[in-house]
Amino acid sequence: MSMEFATFPYLTAILLSCIAGLLVILFIPDERQMLIKQVSLVSSGIAMVLSVYLFFAYDKGKGGLQFVEKVLWVDSLGIYYFNAVDGFSLPMLALTGIVLFTGVLTMWELTHRVKEFFAFTFLLVAGVFGVFMAMDLFFLFVWYDVSLFPMYPLIAIWGSTRKEYGAMKLTLYLLAGSALILPGILYLFVKSGLNTFDVTALMQPGVFTPFQQKFAFLLFYLGFGILAGVWPFHTWSPVGHVAAPTAVSMIHAGVLMKLGAFGVLRVGIFLCPEGWQYWSQLMALLATCGIVYGAFVGLAQTDLKYVIGYSSVSHMGIVGLGLATVTVDGLNGAVFQMFAHGVMTALLFSSVGYIYERTHTKMIPELGGLSKVMPMASSYFIIAALAGIGVPCLASFWAELLVFIASFRVYPVRGALAICALVVSALFMLRVVQRTFYGQKNERLAHLKDVSFGLGIPRMILVGVIVLFGLFPALMVDLVQTASLPLIQGLPR
Amino acid sequence: MNLAWTQDPNLLAAALSAFTPFASFALIMLFTRSHARLSAGISIAAVGISLASAVFLLVRNWSLPAPIQITGRWLISGDIHIPIGFLLDPLSLLMLTIVATISCLVQVYSLAYMAGDPGFSRYYAFQSLFAWAMLTLSISPTMIQLYIFWELVGLASYLLIGFWYEKFSASEAGKKAFVMTRLGDIAFFLGLLLVLLHFGNLNILDMNGPQATERLSPVLLTVSALLIFGGVMGKSAQFPLLTWLPDAMEGPTPVSALLHSATMVAAGVYMFARIFPFFSHSGNAMTVCLSIGTITMLLSSTMAMVTRDIKQVWAYSTISQLGFMVMGLAAGGYAAGVFHLTTHAGFKALLFLCSGVFIHHYETNDMFVIGRHGGRGLLIPMICMTLASAALSGLPPLSGFFSKEAIMGVLAGQRNPIWLAAGLMGAFLTAYYSFRLIFIILRPNLSEKVRAETHGGHGKGHHAAGLYWVMAWPLIILAAVTLVLGFFQGPLEVFLSGSQTVSESHGTGHHAWLPIAAVGLALAGTGLAWLEFGRNGAAQVGFVERLPALRALFANRWYLDHLYRRLLDYVIYGTISNLFTRNDRRVIDGAIDGMCRATIGSGRLLSFVQSGMLQYNLMVMFAALALVALGFYFLG
Amino acid sequence: MNSLTTYLFIAAALFIIGIFGLLQRRSLIGMLIAIELMLNGASVNFMAFNRFLAPDPIIGQVYTLFIMGFAAAETAIALSIIIAVFRRIHSINIEQARDLRG
Repeated sequence: MSMEFATFPYLTAILLSCIAGLLVILFIPDERQMLIKQVSLVSSGIAMVLSVYLFFAYDKGKGGLQFVEKVLWVDSLGIYYFNAVDGFSLPMLALTGIVLFTGVLTMWELTHRVKEFFAFTFLLVAGVFGVFMAMDLFFLFVWYDVSLFPMYPLIAIWGSTRKEYGAMKLTLYLLAGSALILPGILYLFVKSGLNTFDVTALMQPGVFTPFQQKFAFLLFYLGFGILAGVWPFHTWSPVGHVAAPTAVSMIHAGVLMKLGAFGVLRVGIFLCPEGWQYWSQLMALLATCGIVYGAFVGLAQTDLKYVIGYSSVSHMGIVGLGLATVTVDGLNGAVFQMFAHGVMTALLFSSVGYIYERTHTKMIPELGGLSKVMPMASSYFIIAALAGIGVPCLASFWAELLVFIASFRVYPVRGALAICALVVSALFMLRVVQRTFYGQKNERLAHLKDVSFGLGIPRMILVGVIVLFGLFPALMVDLVQTASLPLIQGLPR
Repeated sequence: MNLAWTQDPNLLAAALSAFTPFASFALIMLFTRSHARLSAGISIAAVGISLASAVFLLVRNWSLPAPIQITGRWLISGDIHIPIGFLLDPLSLLMLTIVATISCLVQVYSLAYMAGDPGFSRYYAFQSLFAWAMLTLSISPTMIQLYIFWELVGLASYLLIGFWYEKFSASEAGKKAFVMTRLGDIAFFLGLLLVLLHFGNLNILDMNGPQATERLSPVLLTVSALLIFGGVMGKSAQFPLLTWLPDAMEGPTPVSALLHSATMVAAGVYMFARIFPFFSHSGNAMTVCLSIGTITMLLSSTMAMVTRDIKQVWAYSTISQLGFMVMGLAAGGYAAGVFHLTTHAGFKALLFLCSGVFIHHYETNDMFVIGRHGGRGLLIPMICMTLASAALSGLPPLSGFFSKEAIMGVLAGQRNPIWLAAGLMGAFLTAYYSFRLIFIILRPNLSEKVRAETHGGHGKGHHAAGLYWVMAWPLIILAAVTLVLGFFQGPLEVFLSGSQTVSESHGTGHHAWLPIAAVGLALAGTGLAWLEFGRNGAAQVGFVERLPALRALFANRWYLDHLYRRLLDYVIYGTISNLFTRNDRRVIDGAIDGMCRATIGSGRLLSFVQSGMLQYNLMVMFAALALVALGFYFLG
Repeated sequence: MNSLTTYLFIAAALFIIGIFGLLQRRSLIGMLIAIELMLNGASVNFMAFNRFLAPDPIIGQVYTLFIMGFAAAETAIALSIIIAVFRRIHSINIEQARDLRG
């Protein structure tokens, strides 16, 4: 794999902007809330600008790993501080930056324990960034756990419906996942005989026997898959979404679940390709189950956030299906879907968050007729819902198209089933839109104000991103293909 | 930026035609939402530019030797290439012109119809969205691009049907339209995938070429043709996915005129015509399409016979005529089907726009009420509507006569006479229900007291004279087209024959009795309608309505809606959704919670070991020591 | 009769009686006495091995003297612990001292 070292440590700069933001916030006294928020805005802005810059500055002609930073950390264990980006991680980095920035803006009106909230958020996002850029298994796992545990206080303190239960369930479930990942990593470390955690060294052909790869891949698939919302280990996700405060939901559904899928990609697929091929049938089956299941269960929900939660399960199933096809198109579609769904879900939660803050309810029967009261807020949600259904010229259409083409080619029946689930998702999303926004003007809520221009900025950014990649999908696919094509071509037949 | 593409006049005109409405949509949505007049102006200007470009392209490329295809790179992934571009050939240019013309006329008409509506700008934004989508659909070079804009057209339809979203019925209708067409679209998409995977690409010219039979087996051709036809069933409201179209009348009447009569629903038929050579490879598929078209045509004609709502009549009529077009195409009559699409667009839009004037004036959809309130006093709409109904019924010398005759001729060429019989029956029914409406409005039953209440039936006092003429001029233009278009059949057929390579069946020549039979049946239908509704002292009750069971069957749309409701409630919500939700709560969550309870429970169990009794601890210590000692003794 | 085995049996018997007493007696003082028995059993063991296996030097007997000294000290400490426990639970019944119950 070609490596191009960085002239300026952009990746560490991204990490540092989050950690520096965290440290500065810790020193600000609790009462100066506006200052805390401004500091958060600045550091998240820096992170977003850097990550988006890297997205466009990547040299697609050369491909391979770029912006590499590699420093020996612990010699006796072969641990390196190794950060790099390739076609797979760059969309994720950009996604995290965008969702972080818009998330911070969305929580602008928070007043309860502001300092701790933003501190935990930055810790969480630092962990997420770290996972996406780490090319050393040790650091990947450390950052992974760093991103896990702030979820507990974030949900348990600032959350809403059943927050303690949701927080506990989420954290325990995800830790159980990491309890599967760590043995896998150690297993690989021991069996490779190379005494290194470096991914580029471990992914060389011939390092692991087929049996080792199959065993390890299963561990990684289950462990990371729990975080990715693989059916049937998905039930922590809707409960967690509902319980979490808005920005945490945005980051959780938008970025954290992608962390799981990315883990399967970076650790499982890169290091154990034969295991990947061996287990791909099972992956496809579980993914299809997730797609269909999530759509049908979403039909029966009455809480807005539950609806979005189950639709997330369904969409992550599409990611899983793309990964299971073992083809270039499938991988492209899966990564594109990770990005597109992340942005779309962030927009959905952002809109719901605004509505919840104003109306203090998420239950659909109590809402209704909101479009007359707050037209702009409604439009944001409706655009996001349309993106979720897969309307063309919005980003997720292309992602789903690629995945469906790839999956139909490799798994005709499962692919056809997944395509049929499109109708169900259209049905429940449109039903939700109709019940919540359309209808007679809601007199009880008529006094509420619509989203102001300032508060609308994060949502406008998200809409812009969705439309941009909807109209120009090549921006994303060309980038991802630089990584997926060599990967598939290098697979043992 | 490479501006060489602006040098090519064809490309420039096509790009202008397709994309100016998009610019209009973006402008209105982002900036001019609060300025109603400005939004309308932008939208009409955009669609006017589209119309001018379309006409320019049509005239310039009238005698095109070969289709022009211009594509650019949109998405390349692995070995999948999805280009974006334009295909300019007779069929696409014809469709482009039709869509642009009717969009322009409807948008002008809407200035008056939607005047004063709080969502005026939003309406025009969505109209622009629709125009963009439909125009680009018409000139798509690949089926994928067609599918993409097909879905966007569906989106515009959803937004426009549910335009008055405060009404629950409107949002319900929009949702129903979207979901039903999506059902069809899934079959369409699966068919496209089959073709893509086995044929290699989805370029329309390639699909229509001879390689299709080489690379795809007959079974595959039939299956993919049938699946793609699923899209036609959804979008063009063929049986059994037809119930969304009558409900779609919840939208404003100009929307019904544009989308749900002339253009969007015609997209299905257009798509059929677009890949007509591909479809013709499979005789079985064509027969299935023929039967579905026939069933649709007859079924919806019956539904039109009993309804009181003026728009519903035309909605059912649209479904019926679309079925008729499908029949024509499926029987092999390419030029006939396309010609009927063209003429139908003209007179059906005219019918809806006329109805719109009545609805706007009398604020009711009920044809009996309109008649009683003196609807016939509005001269221009009344005359135009009568003219259009005559065209619809196939009376000479209007355009409908020529196009219906063309299709009848094709049907006569089929071996099985059942299709022709169905077609003729359809002609009878069409004339009947159209003139039923005309006579109800023309000769209202004034025996009730309402007669005394009719205010000046001329209606011009209701709106400002200017607004009335804004609505009237599109009517007059369309009426003129209806009168004249029929005589262009010859040149149009020559024009169209340059665009497809499969020989199609003509067949009009040697059936001289056919026009007479068709016209005769149409006149019979008109006569029956006059007998029951038109003459003095008529009871104004149709022969169907005298049979309550039959009437209920037709009025309830042959209970299709009931079937769908049952399906949705019992199977989808009741069974599957319920099952999965309970599985989630009880089984999966139950298992997890059970595991947690087990963990806590085992902890509680084991805690008994900590009894706090010192002597038990001591006992354990001694036992352990003894075991260790024994161990040392034996293992030494 | 005057062999090593006899004395080992005696020592074992003393030790086991001591263990039994330690585990069975409810009274803390009783447990203390049982502990003394165990210590004496161990002392007899030491002296027996010394006499029959390695008479020179007389380490075993010296150990026994040490054990007696340790026993005395340990008894003093144990009694002071028992008094402290008594002050808390107002009983010398060991079943009353159950604060570490799970």
